[in-house]
Amino acid sequence: MKKLQFLILCCLFAGMLSAQNSYMLYSFKGNVSVVENKVESKAKVGKTVSANAVVKVSNGAAVTIICNEAAMFTFSKAGSYALNKFGDSCTVGNHSVSANYVKYVWAQMTKSSGSPGSNRKAYMNTVGAVSRGLPNVWVDSRLDTINYAGGSFPISWKSYEEAKEFDFKLYTYDNISTPIFSTVIKDKKKIDINSFTDKINPGNSYFWTASIKGEESEEYKTLNYVTKEDFEQVENKLKSQGAAFEAKAEQAYRMAFMLEDAHFLSEAFQYYTKAATLDSTNALYRSTLMSFRKDYELK
Amino acid sequence: MSKPTDLHTDQPKQKKKIHRHITKYLLERDTLFATLWVFLFIFILGSIPLNLGVINPIKLSLKDFDSNDMSYSKLGKAENTPPDKNIVVVNIGYLDREGLSLLIDKVASFNPKVMALDITFDGPKDPYQDSLLSETFRKNKNLIVGYTLQFKGKEADTAYAKDKFFEKVNEYAFVNFFQDDISTFRYVEPFYEDYAKKKYKSFSAAAIEAFDADAFQKFEKKGEHKLLINYSRRSTHYLNVNFDDLMSYDESDSSIFKNKIVLFGYVNEDPNDITDKKFTPMNDRFYGKSVPDMNGVYVHANIISMALEKNYVKKLPSWANVLIAIVICWLHMSFFIHYYLESHIWFHLAAKIAQVLSAIFFVWLGIYLYDKYRLKVDLKLSLLVIVMAVDVIYFYEAWAVWMHKKFNYKTVFKPHHH
Repeated sequence: MKKLQFLILCCLFAGMLSAQNSYMLYSFKGNVSVVENKVESKAKVGKTVSANAVVKVSNGAAVTIICNEAAMFTFSKAGSYALNKFGDSCTVGNHSVSANYVKYVWAQMTKSSGSPGSNRKAYMNTVGAVSRGLPNVWVDSRLDTINYAGGSFPISWKSYEEAKEFDFKLYTYDNISTPIFSTVIKDKKKIDINSFTDKINPGNSYFWTASIKGEESEEYKTLNYVTKEDFEQVENKLKSQGAAFEAKAEQAYRMAFMLEDAHFLSEAFQYYTKAATLDSTNALYRSTLMSFRKDYELK
Repeated sequence: MSKPTDLHTDQPKQKKKIHRHITKYLLERDTLFATLWVFLFIFILGSIPLNLGVINPIKLSLKDFDSNDMSYSKLGKAENTPPDKNIVVVNIGYLDREGLSLLIDKVASFNPKVMALDITFDGPKDPYQDSLLSETFRKNKNLIVGYTLQFKGKEADTAYAKDKFFEKVNEYAFVNFFQDDISTFRYVEPFYEDYAKKKYKSFSAAAIEAFDADAFQKFEKKGEHKLLINYSRRSTHYLNVNFDDLMSYDESDSSIFKNKIVLFGYVNEDPNDITDKKFTPMNDRFYGKSVPDMNGVYVHANIISMALEKNYVKKLPSWANVLIAIVICWLHMSFFIHYYLESHIWFHLAAKIAQVLSAIFFVWLGIYLYDKYRLKVDLKLSLLVIVMAVDVIYFYEAWAVWMHKKFNYKTVFKPHHH
């Protein structure tokens, strides 16, 4: 008899365990991590997590979770959420289309048609017009300062307007009133540094601006034209920081990453390409090269 | 003052009175003939070979209207549908061909059962990128690639494939729908058979066939004609993975894709980005001006979900819709004639109230049958006959009186009644 009772208890316990809710990270934005079995890992879309996991949501982030492949709920405020406390969110809401229909028809029949005078808040909520005052050309912050020693590399920007022509101007560091080089770019939003290297000298720094043709920009970005010798020093220093048994592709990838971090973008591109060529089966090298191309309009 | 017992005896009397309003003239010859005249009018007006709706704003605005759409936008239908665990949507964003190659190879490494690209390739681009993608297509034997089925010839009955740039592809399937871009995407034609009996398979049909033979068999049987799409899920009810997510996955995440259907397509939740977006019954606005609401890949996903779950929409045949309209018209006509003859002063008020209440009831009935039994009943004709019945009574009265004078036609209408 006792054995039977024990068996029933075991079955009940097993039943309770199996009744635990299962969760899946459905989507997220911002910085979200999951702590499971005391191990913290970055959130991944589609990842299944247990009811004992804790989801950490940082400021500005949000995560949507699916419970038992049915109910969805979202954490949009910063904080740590233990999923076992959200079991009630796993219940799928039961609603009747017929009841909603009656409510909808009644709401519509009793709703006042309204007028601009009676509800200004609702009626004055249209966009009205485009706004001005912000620069109409946007330059990625990664291009704020470019260190350049040679090679082909584009300076690019984005426009908030449907403009076809843009002014690109280059100034010396001590004179921003008269550009030393000015050109109109048609039907694209980039210019290769190679196209004006004859106007600049190694060892000097310059300012550049991009704007819609005829408009002025006060956002001056920096271009440092580094001498070959100076760049070689940087390059050798970075090379010497590698591990003892570093494969050539690994070294190229590391160099590329560090050069990008140091704003040597043209040179970083050459190293990313080298890494992807040396080990073409490495998905990380290929994807990084692709992302780099996309980020800096290298097509 | 009435005695308390009178209250009880009043109730059956009241019921009987309402009942009489409808049934008193139900079997009169005039009711039956007036009903017939309503349908004759509809037939005659419908046979005029001119598009009179061109200046009719109501007709124009209701052209693509279906009252069942209200159930998605206002009544919460499909809100609690669980996500489809058989389908994963991978957003291709603005990836070039090299990126696509990388994306497909990465997904393939997680062993999905089917991969289907809702993308067309219309010609050569960068040779290096083309060769990478071509190699990806060659080595993945579970990959379906989209193309556009076009038509030529005098009667546009000669089909030909467009956008089939890559040769070594496991299977091509057409991704386009046979309708214009500005109408609601309600139907899918799973197969197209041209004049030479050559059969072309749609994108969703190819994906279903590769995933579940049983489901495909039924889909093939149902898909001999146009199929009404049962939209069960919005884009938020499918797992959506983008490039960056995917690149962060390793082998431990393979369960996300393993043995599933992976659909690759362009996804954008920004309402201002309408690239590859279609109007669907799930649009937040079910009437008037709106913007397309669902990316094409999710329309395909809904079709696939419908086939895998075998929850097709049953459509009532046209004759049944007409029969329902006849019965509704007959009942309304009996009620209207009663008021017209016996309480003429209240006729218009009673008719208008009856029209509004009937419209509310029949719209609900349509929505209820659609939601509960996935049965689509077209009640447009029924609503139309209710509206027309009131006007037809005036015509019928004149006609019946004239017939009475000429041929001694027996009628309940008296000369100069109105």
